[in-house]
Amino acid sequence: MARTSARIKASTRAKANNGGGKGAPAGEFVPKIDTTLAGVRFQNPVMTASGTFGYGQEFAHLIDLNQLGGICVKGISAEPMAGNPPPRIYETDSGMLNAIGLQNVGAKRFLEEKLPFLRTLKARCIVNVFGYSTEDYVRCIEILNEGDGIDAYELNISCPNTRCGGMVYGNDPRLTEEVVAASKQAARFPVIVKLSPNVTDITLTARAAEAAGADALSLVNTFVGMAIDAETRTPRISNITAGLSGPAVKPVALRMVYQTYRAVKIPIIGIGGIQSATDALEFLIAGAQAVQVGTANFYAPDTALRVVAGIREYCRRKRLHLSELVGSLKVPESPAAESSEH
Amino acid sequence: MYDEMVPVTENRPLTGGHFLLSVHAPRAARATRPGQFAMIQLLGRPDVLLRRPMSIYDLTAGNGRGRRKNSAPEEMQFLYKVVGRGTDLMAKLRAGDKVGLLAPLGHGFFEEEYLSQAREGDEVVHVAGGIGIAALLLPARQLARTGIRQRLFFGGRTKADLVGVEDFKPLVKQTVLATEDGSRGHRGFVTGPLEAYLARRSGKKILLMVCGPWAMLEATVSLARQYGQRCLVSMENRMGCGLGVCLGCCIRVVGEGHGAYQRVCTEGPVFWAEKVVWERERIPKT
Repeated sequence: MARTSARIKASTRAKANNGGGKGAPAGEFVPKIDTTLAGVRFQNPVMTASGTFGYGQEFAHLIDLNQLGGICVKGISAEPMAGNPPPRIYETDSGMLNAIGLQNVGAKRFLEEKLPFLRTLKARCIVNVFGYSTEDYVRCIEILNEGDGIDAYELNISCPNTRCGGMVYGNDPRLTEEVVAASKQAARFPVIVKLSPNVTDITLTARAAEAAGADALSLVNTFVGMAIDAETRTPRISNITAGLSGPAVKPVALRMVYQTYRAVKIPIIGIGGIQSATDALEFLIAGAQAVQVGTANFYAPDTALRVVAGIREYCRRKRLHLSELVGSLKVPESPAAESSEH
Repeated sequence: MYDEMVPVTENRPLTGGHFLLSVHAPRAARATRPGQFAMIQLLGRPDVLLRRPMSIYDLTAGNGRGRRKNSAPEEMQFLYKVVGRGTDLMAKLRAGDKVGLLAPLGHGFFEEEYLSQAREGDEVVHVAGGIGIAALLLPARQLARTGIRQRLFFGGRTKADLVGVEDFKPLVKQTVLATEDGSRGHRGFVTGPLEAYLARRSGKKILLMVCGPWAMLEATVSLARQYGQRCLVSMENRMGCGLGVCLGCCIRVVGEGHGAYQRVCTEGPVFWAEKVVWERERIPKT
């Protein structure tokens, strides 16, 4: 480990001197941490994940929303949805299960009631779109296209909690291709596709989305899980199965970002259990060009801002711009020799 | 609403696995209205992610001085029972420890609306089941200042569950207690003596304010309907955020709203009883 990080340091110092240096003294290196993906420029690579940040306004009195890179709003469908019966959530070790059922106000009310506020922010507004059929996605996008101030769509083809819902798309490369192609054709704004981790090989759906014209990928959504009350022998959540999120899923999500980065050319937004700048940096190094903070927003609303500050500080210390960090994982040339040290 | 780290000033054990936690939180305490709640974050256990929703039981001047007239409160108190992982950790807190506090949250007992309702009526009857008592003290204090006649009906499994009765005594005209094992007060559920009382007072206009487990709420609401009395309920649910964004705490309500569900943390925790759909929803088969 020590040897690997020493090598990173050496190589990045050389780069930084070429890239942003202009012969500036050591203390004055100012890293560039803005990023452009799907044709949209974000002032920093940290966004809040869909379903964990409402429509932004709910956090306005707790944190400075203008310091966020972007806000992904709660999944929107063409028509309002009531959601699942309670209980909908359950805390597990270092994680939580949820089966909300995509309760939302519908595309029209989103435009009327929620978008005007989001439009005033420096943070980019990404609208998460959900449907039961390809026609649903297209219809939702056609309504949202009227919206002023939307920067991109995020297609939710991976929600595990709605029957015959999005995950069917997220599990099948052919269906992924179909819904992405149709959405892309309908969309006035760039399309980010949010992938499901509940597959054997995530690169198959990733490639399918890319082939269908996706501008970027975000991964991952929640992992299907469950919890049982042994005393009563009943499920802890009324939907029986639910999506697992939080720090518990981070290593698996990170691996999927790493694999996907090697399989596609379009930018990746890394999601999964991020609660610190160090977590976010791991995703960036694995190949994500940006990250989303999700579950941590529930228990520590300032997480995304701490992550922004931490990334900036790391880049300053390492004399690196964000672009130099993305996908910069140093894999030892001889893994066998490396492991023999342990 | 404030999101801050606050020091514990006391965590006093009471009977039956109950505790009274006091924290020094002047800003949040001053902003609190009766019936509101807080989300408490326990530190040092990264595997326990979520904050825990807690009724704000009382506001005091701190340093054991209790509550003085016209002085701004400095401390916030939480009455809780150890029932799971979060409350188990909470019970280990000591004076000087820090907790994360997000408070005050929720709508409380719709002050303006309920005060006018209460004034028009003859009296207010508080009905508490177990730890549900924690949501009712601040409303009772506020109503006592207006001079409205109040009663408390309080039920628990056993006498050790009947915590906080002494705090209500100066505020209410009568306290009616019930325990399932008969160790204190009436034997059985609190809805027994409550029904007898409502039957006796059928000509009067009574506002019921209720907090407790679901079955007890359901029974009390049904009595209120039967005797034509209005009823406010303080609802409880698992919560992810307390901020209205996770939608984890939704309960089914009558008519439109946030779909057919409303958030306990935002539209509640206090609801008019007729707003809530009381029939327990069955778990769907796949």
